[in-house]
Amino acid sequence: MAFRAPRITLANLKPARGSQHSQKRVGRGQASGHGRTAGRGMNGQKSRSGPGPRPGFEGGQTPITKLFPKRGFVNQNARTWAPVNLDRLQYWIDQGRITSSPEKPITARELLLSGCVHDVHDGIKLLGDGSEHFKSPIWITPSRASKSAIKAIESNGGKVVCKYYNALALRECVKGGTDKTEAAPTRREDIIWYGRDRNRGYISTQTLQRVGSLPFVQDRWKELAKQLGVWKKQDFDAPRK
Amino acid sequence: MLSSTRCRIANPLRLFSRHLNAASTSVPHVESLPGLSQPEPITASDAKVAPILEPIYLALAPTLTPKAADPQPADSLIVLDPTVFRHPIRTDILHLCVTHYLDSLRQGSASTKTRGEVKGSGHKVRPQKGSGKARIGDAQNPILRGGGVAFGPKPRDFSTKLPRKVIEMGMRVALSSKIRDEKLGAVARLAWPSGKTNPLSRRIDELGWKKTLLVTGEEHVHVGLQRAIRNIPMVSLTTPDKLTVYEVLKWQRIVMDIKALEYFERTLGKDIPTVAVPPL
Repeated sequence: MAFRAPRITLANLKPARGSQHSQKRVGRGQASGHGRTAGRGMNGQKSRSGPGPRPGFEGGQTPITKLFPKRGFVNQNARTWAPVNLDRLQYWIDQGRITSSPEKPITARELLLSGCVHDVHDGIKLLGDGSEHFKSPIWITPSRASKSAIKAIESNGGKVVCKYYNALALRECVKGGTDKTEAAPTRREDIIWYGRDRNRGYISTQTLQRVGSLPFVQDRWKELAKQLGVWKKQDFDAPRK
Repeated sequence: MLSSTRCRIANPLRLFSRHLNAASTSVPHVESLPGLSQPEPITASDAKVAPILEPIYLALAPTLTPKAADPQPADSLIVLDPTVFRHPIRTDILHLCVTHYLDSLRQGSASTKTRGEVKGSGHKVRPQKGSGKARIGDAQNPILRGGGVAFGPKPRDFSTKLPRKVIEMGMRVALSSKIRDEKLGAVARLAWPSGKTNPLSRRIDELGWKKTLLVTGEEHVHVGLQRAIRNIPMVSLTTPDKLTVYEVLKWQRIVMDIKALEYFERTLGKDIPTVAVPPL
């Protein structure tokens, strides 16, 4: 007769072999190996119940954390840009490693996947080194672009729009996700920066007019430009009459 | 076992269309390429894995309310996704799922008062010296009657975490174990129009559905069945989204309607091509 495995019920389940440890039972007699001091060594603060001396306490001696003065500063708002110079970008275009069109502009994803940058850090910053060699019309949406880069791209008939990416939006961009709505800037500095035409910010009305109705320009940008540009017409400091 | 006892597929159910498609597209047509003197080496993108998974054939059980238009249960087979219903039996995974579920049921509300919480004054019970008795402070000491409890239980959360994918695998294993033990039945539909308990009870006895959990995948569970089954012992009705691994194992036998089976194929299935189902 063929072997028939027993029916599986709640009564015959067991954890995988070797996956469980038996509990260490301390203070249960000498024979257990954890009797007498129950693994706590000889007398002292650490052998009593309770949490023991606080971390960093060196027995009353000035601890190392108090011995030296604090020095330096961490800028919580610092961002590390991944620089892309125009001569490098032109080289990539010439080799056919990167292409752009009004439907599919160059983003951090294309630059990263083509190896033009090795890490997108907090966003792409387009810089103008070698702009005299730059000849192609390109459509690109970096996080930042320098004045010389903007000038060189637009003189060749390309378009550049600087977009705000928070960490999540940049990650989604690099992964190629399209289903999520990108976060709008929330900090005053960012709202002002991306609202300026000279930066070709994506929530600047002049920039959006300048770019026109290209396929990659979203309707949402216009709405954001309207809503986040309200401050320009507000005058909070006007004296009351 | 079931596939061998039956000779004719009378009722090709829509259950399996997805897997059929996957299987039929996976046959490489090398000879149809024109102008090739020798077969090209298959690159990674071209390579299609030949289906190796055999589908599961399950005989259809009679419904609660048989009708003339129904397919004859004895002749009807349904085809099930082997990635869901023929998973390797992992009792350790079942154990994880069941423990996780039972942990989540624990109230964890046991509570005792410590010496600080017991009502009473902090006044010293008797002088330190001269009474001839033991030294003692206040009356709430744990060694005294009416004192606090030393190391007693306090309310806490016993629930544990288990990755979603393990829970999903647990459900595959549980369903597969029921298939293996021949304790999972499939019916065309689950309904009881009269809503009366007594005839339903008799019908269930007649079908031999003692200690059986009925699972219906209908969006709106049949109200008559829901009402009629309520007071019948050892039988219960549930929906697939509420079904847990614990319940699958607790009930001796499970009977699902087609929509419930489809629900599990949809939520737990993997897109692995299976051998094509032979035509009628």
